[in-house]
Amino acid sequence: MLNRRHFLRDTALTASALAVPSILRAQDNRLVINSFGGAYEEIHRQLVITPFEEMTGTRVEVVTAYSADTLSQLRAQKEAPQFDVAHFSGGLETTAALEGLLSPIEPSELSNHDQMYEFAVAGISKGVGPTYSTAVIGLLYETNQINPAPTSWNDLLREGIGERVLVTDAASNTYGLLGLLMMNHALGGTMEDLTPGLEFVRKLLDNGAVVVSKSPEIQQNFAQGSAWMAAYAQDYAFTLTKAGLPVKFVQPQEGAAFAPITVNLVANRPNRELALKFIDLSIRAEASAGWAEALRYSPTNRTVTLSGEVAEQVVYGEAAARNLVGFDPVVISDKRAGWNEEWKRLLVQ
Amino acid sequence: MTGLAPPASARLLATALLIFTALVMLVPLGVVIASSFSESQFLVFPPRGFSFRWYGEILGSQAYLSAAWTSLRVAVIVTALSVLVGTPVAIALAKSSTPGRAALSGLFLSPLVLPTLIFGIGLLMAMSIWLGGPSIWGLVVGHLVICVPYVIRTVSAVLSRADPQLEEAARTMGANVWRRYIHVVLPQCRTGMAAGAFFAFNISFDDAVIALFVRAPGVETLPIRIYGQLEFSPDPSVAAVSTLMILVSAVLVLLVDRAIGLDRMA
Amino acid sequence: MAAVDWVRAQARKESLALLAPGILVLVIAFLFPVGTILITSVLERTEDGAFELTASHFGKFFVDDYYLKVAWRTLRLALVITLATVIFGVPLAYIMRRAHPALRFAILLTVILPLMTSVVIRTFGWLVVLGNGGLLASLVAPFGVTGRSAVLMHTETGIVIAMTQVLLPFMVLTVLGVLQGIGRDLEEAGRTMGAGFWQVLRVVVLPLAVPGIVSGSLIVFALSISSFITPSLVGGVRLPVMAGSIYQSIGGSFDWPFAAAQSTLLLAATLLLIIPYARLARTP
Repeated sequence: MLNRRHFLRDTALTASALAVPSILRAQDNRLVINSFGGAYEEIHRQLVITPFEEMTGTRVEVVTAYSADTLSQLRAQKEAPQFDVAHFSGGLETTAALEGLLSPIEPSELSNHDQMYEFAVAGISKGVGPTYSTAVIGLLYETNQINPAPTSWNDLLREGIGERVLVTDAASNTYGLLGLLMMNHALGGTMEDLTPGLEFVRKLLDNGAVVVSKSPEIQQNFAQGSAWMAAYAQDYAFTLTKAGLPVKFVQPQEGAAFAPITVNLVANRPNRELALKFIDLSIRAEASAGWAEALRYSPTNRTVTLSGEVAEQVVYGEAAARNLVGFDPVVISDKRAGWNEEWKRLLVQ
Repeated sequence: MTGLAPPASARLLATALLIFTALVMLVPLGVVIASSFSESQFLVFPPRGFSFRWYGEILGSQAYLSAAWTSLRVAVIVTALSVLVGTPVAIALAKSSTPGRAALSGLFLSPLVLPTLIFGIGLLMAMSIWLGGPSIWGLVVGHLVICVPYVIRTVSAVLSRADPQLEEAARTMGANVWRRYIHVVLPQCRTGMAAGAFFAFNISFDDAVIALFVRAPGVETLPIRIYGQLEFSPDPSVAAVSTLMILVSAVLVLLVDRAIGLDRMA
Repeated sequence: MAAVDWVRAQARKESLALLAPGILVLVIAFLFPVGTILITSVLERTEDGAFELTASHFGKFFVDDYYLKVAWRTLRLALVITLATVIFGVPLAYIMRRAHPALRFAILLTVILPLMTSVVIRTFGWLVVLGNGGLLASLVAPFGVTGRSAVLMHTETGIVIAMTQVLLPFMVLTVLGVLQGIGRDLEEAGRTMGAGFWQVLRVVVLPLAVPGIVSGSLIVFALSISSFITPSLVGGVRLPVMAGSIYQSIGGSFDWPFAAAQSTLLLAATLLLIIPYARLARTP
């Protein structure tokens, strides 16, 4: 029980705890980054994080957070950010760069800079980090249930599959946002007018479509047989296939959305050198090829050559990329808050 | 007693209600514990196989360990401060010489019924506007305000059974203030302080709401780590951490029972 | 006489010294943050950087269909949850009062252990029970109920079930506290005068338990309208409640004044409930 001695001991314990500026202590030799969880994070570790740790002796702390969340955290922690390196997919790096949350990089600071396709490093002097791989947003479908295979975004409205369609949350998931923009584009909408896309999603919801916000939910739904079709990324289709699920990816005839995945240097952090080393390691040919082999992301490092099966399954080379639709990240950055409000109202039951 | 025995129908209903309640209250904890021993990668029911691999996993996970260390530090500091602040308040509230006791006691216990969410948001806003952003001390202060009332309650509970004559006697016999507190008043409060400390530790260690709002960069408590995992993709490693936390709570409940009896919770 | 005055003054000083740290904590951790919310909710930054008073943040809430919908769901769910805790909690408290000490302790433990477990973990348990491939789905699968209808995740029913478990202890403990104050002799008198078991319950026990039921309901309702973790994890993105909307305003759209306005409304609703609760609790 608490007698006087224990009481004093507790007090002493408190005092000593107060005396240690504990938050500041572990900072020196670690790098804080975000990654996207699940299989992605595993491969990320394998291709970049572990090699970096071995090379530099630095401990990398990984916070699992999608792009939208990461942006929110960077904004909230503007003065004292937690992250050293932030990964984004789908256009938010431009928003972050415009808000001064990211730090510009000089080409000379990255040894692998000259190996990159031009588009992949076009924005680094403005704070938009290099694109280290790209994803494609199209349609995922269950091969046993969906016959014939979908060819158009309109196939999401196909008779009898209403409740087994997955819609990805566009507010918290950038793949969801790109999917929405793509549906809107396919139906003749523009970035100025999202009505066709929103109306399309409303129809899907009225048919009983389920809204998911994280990739694992998509896997769960396909695995449980409660999903037959979804608008999501090609790489994720491969993750599902690897997990033994009968799922395939198609690029609909109206086009598929192009999603750059970038690695960015966070502003106002003390360890720029280390963070740059991490970014440089992320864009090296070995990593770029690794992403394609493991998860079917398209490489952005020119020196990468893919072979056989891998080459067939990623969007590779110019001809294949013709069907891809890119959305202007500056417009996304400008309009996203308003879109989120509209989206929120569309979803609420 | 015999004349008062409830009819068979009432007994049946009572039994049904008890079984149902036990199921609803305990099954969610049970499935978490069961899942933690699963062999498979995913959370499915019934869990497949039996293994301790997820416990191995979390004990080797830097993220979980550092979150646990943060939670522990915060909880220990909050517990000590809660007892230091709450005990004197309870003693004062037990004195007939304290003016406005009813109002004061209402004021001091009000954090028990006001939404924790409000403290979290308020602290976040106050610290961001005036102190340049949230820190681990915001968390400590936020926990303090929800933990102190428990100490006040438990100490008040034991003081209401204590003998006021004792202190009076010490006073009239000329014991000075310090001697009076150390030899008479505090020993009377002992069990209440212990129970209050167990409550305070448990509440601080388990809190997710204040921690979620007053989230300083790099400060992640165990419940926040779990919340993040749940938002993302719950796997059996979350179940393993949760099982350990349930164990901590169970031990603390039993300690509270030892100190003052669970009956006094009502 | 002077000596008595001196003693009294001394005692007062002592009380004040004892209360001082507690008051300090209340001011720093309670009044200051709540004050900040209130101030933020009525201020607006003008073009030239000055602040001026405004009701626009509150206005935004009341003219927007979306937020009214969210508020209505929050209240509706809180009502159903309160009702559920009354239906299960009141009989349970009565059983506890009559039960053999060992059984009583067992029930107490069953109620208190979940209460003392982190709400994050309890919600996690419900995710495993209610979710895809969860306990419930695997239990009903043999009966041919599969697919979406077997999954209560992302439904209001799911929220109500999970929240009832989280809040039931508050009802049980509050009602038990009142029931313990009722003498058994009253009941016995009723029975010896020839009233049946149910009649005694209805005429004697229930009316006496009303203050407990009312204060239990108020506390459950208040906790329910402000809860965040369980509704957001079980309910998902399509079923937002007020606390979730506040969280979104803070972390998603960075509209802090609006978050403050919503918090103020939530606090006002809670106070409206808690003040009568405090009155009831004080009357013996």
